[in-house]
Amino acid sequence: MQTQDQARTSIVHRATSGAVLLFIGLGMLAIGWDYPIGRLTQMGPGFIPRAIAVMICVIAVAIIIVDIADAGMDKAGGIQWRGLIFVSAAMLIFAVLVDLAGLVPAMFLAVVVSMLADKAASPATILLYAVLATGAGWLLFLVTLELPIPAFWR
Amino acid sequence: MLRNLIATLPLAIALAVPAVAQDSFPDRSLRIVHGFGPGGNADTVSRIMAEQMSQGLGEPVVVESRPGAGGTVASGYVAGEDPDGYTMQLLVGGHAVAAALYNSLPFEPVDDYTFLSTIGQFPFFLAARAGEYESIDALIEAALADPGSIVIGHSGVGSTQHLTGELLGLETGAEFIHVPYQGGAAASTALMGGEVDLIIDTGTVIRGQADAGVYDVLAVTSAERWPDSPDVPTLNETVAEGFDVISWTALGAPAGLPENVEAALSAEIQRVLAMEDVQAQIAALGASPRGSTGAELQALIERQIAVWTEVIDTAQIERR
Amino acid sequence: MIDQFLMGLSVVMQPEILIYAFAGVFIGQLIGVLPGIGAITAISLLLPVTFYLDATTSMIMLAGIYYGSQYGGSIASILLNLPGTPSSVVTCLEGYPIARDGRAGMALFVAAFSSFVGGMIGVAILVLAAIPMTSIALRFGAPEYAMLVVLGLLAASLVGTGSQLRSFAMVLVGIALGLVGADATTGYYRFVAMPELADGISLVSLAMGLFGVSEIIRNASNRTRTMTNISVTMRDIIPTRAEARSLLGPILRGSTIGSFFGALPGTGAAIASFMAYATEKRVSRTPEKFGTGHLPGLSAPESANNAASQTGFIPTLTLGIPGDAVMALIIGALILNGIIPGPRLMVDQPLLFWGVIASFFVGNVILLLINIPLIRLWVLLLRIPYQKLYPVIIVMICVGVYSHRTSVTDVVLTLAFGIIGYLMKSYRFEPAPVLLGFVLGPLLEDNFRRTMLIYRGDFAIFIERPISAVLFACTVALIGFSIFSTIKTYRRNVQTRGAHER
Repeated sequence: MQTQDQARTSIVHRATSGAVLLFIGLGMLAIGWDYPIGRLTQMGPGFIPRAIAVMICVIAVAIIIVDIADAGMDKAGGIQWRGLIFVSAAMLIFAVLVDLAGLVPAMFLAVVVSMLADKAASPATILLYAVLATGAGWLLFLVTLELPIPAFWR
Repeated sequence: MLRNLIATLPLAIALAVPAVAQDSFPDRSLRIVHGFGPGGNADTVSRIMAEQMSQGLGEPVVVESRPGAGGTVASGYVAGEDPDGYTMQLLVGGHAVAAALYNSLPFEPVDDYTFLSTIGQFPFFLAARAGEYESIDALIEAALADPGSIVIGHSGVGSTQHLTGELLGLETGAEFIHVPYQGGAAASTALMGGEVDLIIDTGTVIRGQADAGVYDVLAVTSAERWPDSPDVPTLNETVAEGFDVISWTALGAPAGLPENVEAALSAEIQRVLAMEDVQAQIAALGASPRGSTGAELQALIERQIAVWTEVIDTAQIERR
Repeated sequence: MIDQFLMGLSVVMQPEILIYAFAGVFIGQLIGVLPGIGAITAISLLLPVTFYLDATTSMIMLAGIYYGSQYGGSIASILLNLPGTPSSVVTCLEGYPIARDGRAGMALFVAAFSSFVGGMIGVAILVLAAIPMTSIALRFGAPEYAMLVVLGLLAASLVGTGSQLRSFAMVLVGIALGLVGADATTGYYRFVAMPELADGISLVSLAMGLFGVSEIIRNASNRTRTMTNISVTMRDIIPTRAEARSLLGPILRGSTIGSFFGALPGTGAAIASFMAYATEKRVSRTPEKFGTGHLPGLSAPESANNAASQTGFIPTLTLGIPGDAVMALIIGALILNGIIPGPRLMVDQPLLFWGVIASFFVGNVILLLINIPLIRLWVLLLRIPYQKLYPVIIVMICVGVYSHRTSVTDVVLTLAFGIIGYLMKSYRFEPAPVLLGFVLGPLLEDNFRRTMLIYRGDFAIFIERPISAVLFACTVALIGFSIFSTIKTYRRNVQTRGAHER
């Protein structure tokens, strides 16, 4: 009984990779359907996209078949949510702040947020480290390389 | 009394802010964006201007290359940028061509821009591998005898070079195959390698090989022989009477530039163009250096758009 | 030719010129280490400086930045899984696992040494065979490039450790990502879901995301990840004699492949490095070791991309044709100095020509001398606990990506690719082929289209032209081998499974 259940979830699980790929291929076909194809000798912008999309679909189906046939496949690993959330938060904060508030605040808060992932870090350590990192970043990017990014809001 | 003070505060701030902005232009680096590959004519001219302008303006001027579709990708980008004077575009004759050639563009060729000044004017040269064709007449004869046998490489669909090639076909009645490349350098490589038979491009692209005797320069597209190359016959006098194609480089910016910014930039451009070194460099690239006012540039562009539109209509060239 | 080279050497070995050569390679190396900030940025920044220098010195300095950045790119790839340049992607595949195992110093040493030998062989070919290579390069027209890219894409599916079918699927996805944006030939916008995508997806976003950010996500939660026990003595940095002997073949093969591809305008170091990698995997007796930290897999691409960055100057020096955007900048600098690059450069400006070539020789030596002591510094940096290190890396990636096109969207895209890359690995899809497909896809479309246009849709042209025919044969052979080895593995698996069941 138990092995049957395991086998059933496994098949769906095994077909996931190929299915996602198939979805991508079909999506490409759908979006690119209206692009002008032209002829072989005068290829329009739609020619290669459609060809690639078809190839992706074909390979996706092949992968689904191969995966389902391979009963001994390992399950995909679990997602480590902690890392995902904090890295995402840090980068998104940078993205939001860099245009609004300038490079220095963006760097500072990005470092602070990423360090929050470590529960053991004290606020003092985080602050000190963020200041140091931001200072180094300022020196490197703005002073040495003279990147055309405003340090603070305009 | 406090109430009155506070009431006038917004007005005072409103008056003060533009003044501050005025004095501080420019206060960070500027860009000259162009729509062609690095190392080509547009790129080199941009760098000449950028270098001198950064000295005059006191802020770095960087050059940004955004190639694609005959320069229209760059034009579309610049049209959408803030008209704060920090983004300029190196426009070329292809701008007028694109206006005439494309059914729909992501920008308005005249209304979306503040035109600043021309920089130089230049013709295109026709080059083939040395020894293959005795003269431009011989090439056209060969093309007429066997339609579709002569392949012309150009630097991008919708570019002035491309359209000039199409125009050549129409004026002479010869049927060519026009093959697009990513920039003049790639087309020149193709000519060297034998993949195409003729290229039509600027002096910058052709010069090195011509001097070395690898290419024969068969003709020039201006109506009169170009002063720097007096031995090269014009198309006008040989195979296509009335043929007169001259391209230009110029500087523009997004529409709605504040007057003071426009004045500052224009003044700086004229200052640079008056420098002997700059004039020599622009001449070395095969162009005749010449500045103008924004209004003159706009008139030039509008005139050329009309010309190219007529050409495309008459020749029934398919619009994109 | 040798005496001309010596003449060039005498030009370079003057204190003033040496300083600029040093500055060039040093800055190039620094730029290469920083993710997202490439040679183009550095050269653009320094271009105005060249106005005050003579042409020879300018070119020596700018060239130094170019091949110096190849050295630097490897460092970030090995230590942080951050490919600084497309050609460094393959370095990540072997170098990073070695570093993770605690032998970062050795990986860096092998990389530096392989790069040095590769660079030297590249310079030698430049000196001895520039003209013949140029004439070979000129025979590469659109059909040849198209076939070359197809071969490259197939080789790219060999690059992953997983199933070739999945890797090839990833190559296709990479090509698809490369299609986003304005079609270069017609200006038609494709797959542009939002206006910011109109300029296409940035290679930097893709590379940093799929490799760097995904790795950070994977490691950020893993609190046990610290590097202890890293020894910094010379004995641990230098490989054993057996290991060293195993590197001779890869270095020679890699340098040859790299020298060849570097001379072809438009392809360059990216293709060279993973062709070298794929070749090593194909000729190796232990292909399953690739991807786990196998030295030949590190050393061959490193030799290849440095050899390519030297022979990349061949079209520039002999024809005046830029092989890529960076070369075009360098040519621009020459023009602005009043020198018209072209076939006459060698004759009209022998001091410049041979001086520059000699500077490559000197530059490579300088880079090796700089890099060896630096290894201890890099390894010491790795002692910093990862929890403190990765916030800085995140910021570096963010700034590098943002500064590329001054685009916030790029930063968000990098994050998205990072998450996708992280999930991909769980489902056994490799990220490296995606990047290679992304870089090569546009080349394929361009050249295939052009071939069809010029030769009126005649597919036979691919077999009629000699070079193209050879490449076609290689492609067929590669497909044949892959199918053959897959069947062999499948049969073997069935047999072992049968044996177990018995």
